[in-house]
Amino acid sequence: MNTNVVDRADAPTLSIAMEERGAARANAAKAVAEKLDFWYGSNQALKNINLLIPENQVTALIGPSGCGKSTFLRCFNRMHDLQPDTRYAGSIMLHPENVNLVGKDVDPIEVRMRIGMVFQKPNPFPKTVFENVAYGLRLRGFNNRTELGERVEKALRGAAIWDEVKDRLNDSALALSGGQMQRLCIARALATEPEILLFDEPTSALDPIATAKIEELITELRQRVTILIVTHNMQQAARVSDFTAFMYLGELVEVGATSQIFTNPSKKATEDYITGRYG
Amino acid sequence: MDTAAHARASSDPGDPHTLGVVDESVAGLRLHALEMGALVIEQVATAARSLLERDMKLAQLVLARESLVDDYDRRLDRDSLTFIALQQPVANDLRLSRAIVRIGRELERAGDEAKKIARFTLTLGQTADGDPVVAVSRQLRHMASLSGSMLRNAVRAADEMDVTLAHSVLERDAELDAEFAAALRLVMSYVLQDHRFLRPTIDTIFALKGLERIGDHATNIAEQVLYVKEGARG
Repeated sequence: MNTNVVDRADAPTLSIAMEERGAARANAAKAVAEKLDFWYGSNQALKNINLLIPENQVTALIGPSGCGKSTFLRCFNRMHDLQPDTRYAGSIMLHPENVNLVGKDVDPIEVRMRIGMVFQKPNPFPKTVFENVAYGLRLRGFNNRTELGERVEKALRGAAIWDEVKDRLNDSALALSGGQMQRLCIARALATEPEILLFDEPTSALDPIATAKIEELITELRQRVTILIVTHNMQQAARVSDFTAFMYLGELVEVGATSQIFTNPSKKATEDYITGRYG
Repeated sequence: MDTAAHARASSDPGDPHTLGVVDESVAGLRLHALEMGALVIEQVATAARSLLERDMKLAQLVLARESLVDDYDRRLDRDSLTFIALQQPVANDLRLSRAIVRIGRELERAGDEAKKIARFTLTLGQTADGDPVVAVSRQLRHMASLSGSMLRNAVRAADEMDVTLAHSVLERDAELDAEFAAALRLVMSYVLQDHRFLRPTIDTIFALKGLERIGDHATNIAEQVLYVKEGARG
């Protein structure tokens, strides 16, 4: 697990700078974006992105609105396929099988089973707590009541919400608080045991306590799942991530250990953004 | 903000932030560090003069102003902590807030050395007949001038975040150390000739050592400038 990043990343441009002493060391790559371009119609939103996502660690994507960080995140589970007139070039290779996630021959539904996503606004289905989590499992063909129950409980425990909902499994999910709904959505994403979890501004609609619970959860989850998180909250990126990537105008400007990016970034553009000198 | 054009280059801590209140905090910290620097430069110069000219009044003045130096140090400590708590600075802003605390500490210690030299002036009193201070007065004068100039340049480098000036301070430390070693040899030969002056000789050695330490504090301040601008040093 703790092998050096260079083992799987052949291209030097993909490696994460780690010369800084005391900085986090990258695990082996779980996914590698290489020469990734993306277009909405004629508008190029991502330009030549080369980024290594280390396994079982948290990578944060930061940058001003419109820089392409959410667009990049959505490439991983093929969310863009739901929109007409979008186009990918380059690759995102998922390890260890070396599947190109944005390849034409890859089934987006299968990709989404392996790569879960949690959105900015909690979006539970208008169903019971239990059914919200069981939904993805049923899609995968799990129908045995006992097995479903076990897997739902495991996912709810994994999302640190089991104790709060174990007596209300048949209540509507819409009756939960915002923070609970968001953790339910995380449980729903966890149920199919994804390899990568994508978080798109997961706490921007939550109060500080609910935010702290989600952040704590992210820290726990990374022992099992590779995590990619988009956030506008710089302190959040600093608190929860191992690596931080700064994007600007569709390009990846700088990536490095979070401790290094927030104390001594190597690019002036990064420094200006994180210190609030941008714009 | 052109992503490609900006290679390894840090913005100046004085460059404006989107939030004006951050600029105010940074400006306040830097201003108080500068004021403290000016006060300590004056303390060191006055203490050295009090010793060389046997001026009790100047020595008393140094002792009277010592508490002002401590006040500045506490103030920088407090304001940096508030800045960190309220504005959560990162990158060069964070490095600056830590550097300011350290610069305050170095200045406070340089001020302590000035205080010790002033105390020695008072102990030594008016008698100037054949005491060790007279014997090494040329070295004392030179060391006072050298350490004073290092401290001035270090404070100016910190105020202007001038890397070149900071480097020039670092380069002069060896010269001061060599001067101290030479003065030490001279004063030791003096005490070997006449044991009556043992106590004032020891005090003289402490005064020389104090000036040498002031040069070290100036060096440490210069290193903080490099740390803020280049981020390389711990």
